[in-house]
Amino acid sequence: MALSSLFIILPVPKVPYSNYSRRLLTARASSDAPAASASFDLRRYWTSLIADVESELDAAMPMQPPESIHSAMRYAVLPSAGKEGAAKRAPPVLCVAACELLGAPRAAALPAAAALEMLHAASLVHDDLPCFDAAPTRRGRPSTHAAYGTDMAVLAGDALFPLAYTHVISHTPCPDPVPHAVLLRVLAELARAVGSTGMAAGQFLDLAGATALGEAEVMQVLTKKFGEMAECSAACGAMLGGAGPDEEAALRRYGRTIGVLYELVDDIRSASGNGKMRSNASVLRSLGMDRALGIVEELKAQAKTEADRFSDKYGDRVLPLYSFVDYAVERGFELQDAAATL
Amino acid sequence: MAMSFHFHPLAASRVHFSPLPFAAAAGAPSPSSSVAIAAHHQHGRRRFSAIVATAAAASAATTEFDFKAYMGERAVAVNRALDAAVPAGEPPAALHDAMRYALLAGGKRVRPALCLAACAVVGGPEPWAMPAAAAVEMVHTMSLVHDDLPCMDDDDLRRGKPTCHVVYGEPIAVLAGDALLSLSFHHMASVGSYPPDVDPEKHPARVVRAIGELARCIGSEGLVAGQLKKCSTCPLQVVDLEMTGTSETVPLERLEYIHLHKTAALLEASVVIGAIIGGGTDEQIERLRKYARSIGLLFQVVDDILDVTKSSEELGKTAGKDLASDKTTYPKLLGLEKSREFAEELLSDAVEQLACFDKEKAAPLLHLANYIAHRQN
Repeated sequence: MALSSLFIILPVPKVPYSNYSRRLLTARASSDAPAASASFDLRRYWTSLIADVESELDAAMPMQPPESIHSAMRYAVLPSAGKEGAAKRAPPVLCVAACELLGAPRAAALPAAAALEMLHAASLVHDDLPCFDAAPTRRGRPSTHAAYGTDMAVLAGDALFPLAYTHVISHTPCPDPVPHAVLLRVLAELARAVGSTGMAAGQFLDLAGATALGEAEVMQVLTKKFGEMAECSAACGAMLGGAGPDEEAALRRYGRTIGVLYELVDDIRSASGNGKMRSNASVLRSLGMDRALGIVEELKAQAKTEADRFSDKYGDRVLPLYSFVDYAVERGFELQDAAATL
Repeated sequence: MAMSFHFHPLAASRVHFSPLPFAAAAGAPSPSSSVAIAAHHQHGRRRFSAIVATAAAASAATTEFDFKAYMGERAVAVNRALDAAVPAGEPPAALHDAMRYALLAGGKRVRPALCLAACAVVGGPEPWAMPAAAAVEMVHTMSLVHDDLPCMDDDDLRRGKPTCHVVYGEPIAVLAGDALLSLSFHHMASVGSYPPDVDPEKHPARVVRAIGELARCIGSEGLVAGQLKKCSTCPLQVVDLEMTGTSETVPLERLEYIHLHKTAALLEASVVIGAIIGGGTDEQIERLRKYARSIGLLFQVVDDILDVTKSSEELGKTAGKDLASDKTTYPKLLGLEKSREFAEELLSDAVEQLACFDKEKAAPLLHLANYIAHRQN
C-alpha cells in the first residue's frame, strides 16, 4: 500500500472555479482551523527548527581539504543570507513535523532533514547552470556556478548527493530507535525523490517546456518538481517516527499536496506582484488566474483532510501540519529576520 | 605472506590476457595528432609489447582459472541487472533513454566484477552483491557522463561512440548523470533489489554500512576530489595539476592524491561493499580495502604507460592525449622504466593482501589484479 502511493498522481480538481478570487489568498485565519490553533505559534516552531537544521548542516559540512569544493558545497547549502533572505528550510521542517507528530524525538529526523536540504541544494545548483536555467542569482546572491565556476558547480552538486546519504547513515540514531531496515527505506525514499521518476523528471519536463502545454502538464511538472520532494520529506519523517502503513500513506499524500500548493501559491503571488519574481510564471499563463486559485482551494482542502486523519489520535500535535496549510496559502509572516540572525 | 601462494609477483604477474570479447570495439577514435605522438614513442611501445609477449607464453600453463570466461559471464549478468534497473517504461522517456545510452554502452565492467568477486572471496553468494555491483557501475557511468561535459573535459567520443551530451544535449546529460547517481543509491537501498535468501537479521545493517562506504568513496573526499584538478577555479593547493604547465615540479604525492581519489576511490568502494554484503569480517574487509587501493593506483599507472606506448587504434581512444595536454603522468615524473617497476610493486602489494584467503576463491581477484596490470587498452 505504501508502494502504490508512490505513484499517486494528484487528482485534478473538477470544482467550478468562477466564484474563486484573489481574495482567497489574502484571507486570514480560515474558519475551518481547529479551535486550539491560537495556542500554536507556527512561526516560533518553524524558527526553532531552522536553528536546529542550520547547526546540523553546519556540522555536517566542515571546511577541510580540498577546500575549494567544500567551500562551494557550503555556499550552495548554507544561507549566510543574501538580500532576499535566508532559506526557509520547508522540506526539513515538514520532515521533523511528521516525525514529531508520531511522538518520536526530533533527533531521529534531524539528520534526514539536513539530507533533504543537501539533495535539494544539489538539484538547484545543477538547475541554475548555464545549460539549464542559466540563473545568475539565487536568493539574491550569485548562484553557485557564478561564484565558483561551472565546472566546480557540477562537482559540488555531484558531491552533495552522496554527502546527504553519508550524513543520514552516520547521524541517525540507529538501530535504536530507528532500525536498520527503516533507515534503508529512508535512504531509498531520498534517492527516489531526486531521481529520474521524481525531481529530475520534473526538471526534465520543465526543460522540455511542458508547462506551456496545458493544465495536466502543468500539474505534472509541479507535482514532480515540488510535490515529490515534499512527499519525500513527510514520508521520511513518518518512517523515522515509526508510522504504520496507513499513517505513512496519509502523510505522503499530505506532503505531496502541500508541496504543489506551496509552489502554486508562489507562482500566483509573483504573477500578482506580491512575491519575488520566478522564472516559471508560465504556469499561470497556462492555467489562468481563476483556475489557479480554484486549484489552490482544492489542494488546501485536500491537505487539511489528510491532516484531519491524525487529530483524534494525536491531538494538538497535528497543529504544525494544519497550520502549514494556511501558511502555504497566506504567508502570514516572514521567516527571514529570524533566520538571518542565526 | 605471498609465499603461501607459491607466487612470485614479478614473474606471475606477467600474464597477458587478450582483449575481452565484450570490451567496446575500438570504434573510430579521432586521428588528430596522436599519430605523430605515437610514432614518437615507437621505441617504448615495442619494448613493452615484447615484455608482455614473453610473459604470456610463460604464464599460459600456470593457471587453470578461465579469467576470460569469468569476466564474460559476469559482464552478461551485470548488463542484465543494469538493463532491468532503469525504469525504461516510465516517463520521461528521453531522460531514461539518455541514462540507458550511457549505462548500457558496453565496457569491461571491471568494477562490478571486483564487487562480485569480493563478496565471493569472503564466502557470500554472488547474487547478494549484484545490486551493489550494478550501483558502482551506475556511479562510474555518471562520473563519465559529467566528466565528458563541455565545462569539464569536453569529450565528444567515449568508447568510440558520441558522448551523452552530444546525443541528448548538455542539460539532459547533467540530469541523466544526477539520475544515475540517485538510481545507484535507490537500487542498493531497495529491499526488492536483493534475492530472497539474504540473512534477514544481518542483511539490513550490512547494506546500510555498504551504502555509507559507497557514498564516502564517491563524495568530496573521494571520486569528486579526484576530478577537481580539472576545475578552473581550483586554487593551486592540493590537487591542481593542469594549470601549472610546469609539470616536472609536481611532486609524486600530488599525483598519487589525484589517482587515489579519481580512480582508486571507486575501485575501493566496489571491493569493500562487496565484502561487507558478503558478510566479511572487519579484518577481511580491511585487507581487501588495501588490495583495492593498490590496484586502483596500479590502474592509473598502467593507464599512463599505455598512453605513451600505445596507438589510438590499440587503445580505442585518443593516445598521447596526456602528453598533448601537458598532464603530469608517471612516465613523465619517474620515466617509463621506473613507472613499470612501480606497477610491479603495486601489483605484488595487492596480491599479498589475498594471501590469507582461500586460494580458489581468491583466484578472480588475483586475476583481476593481473588483468589491470597487463591490460592493453
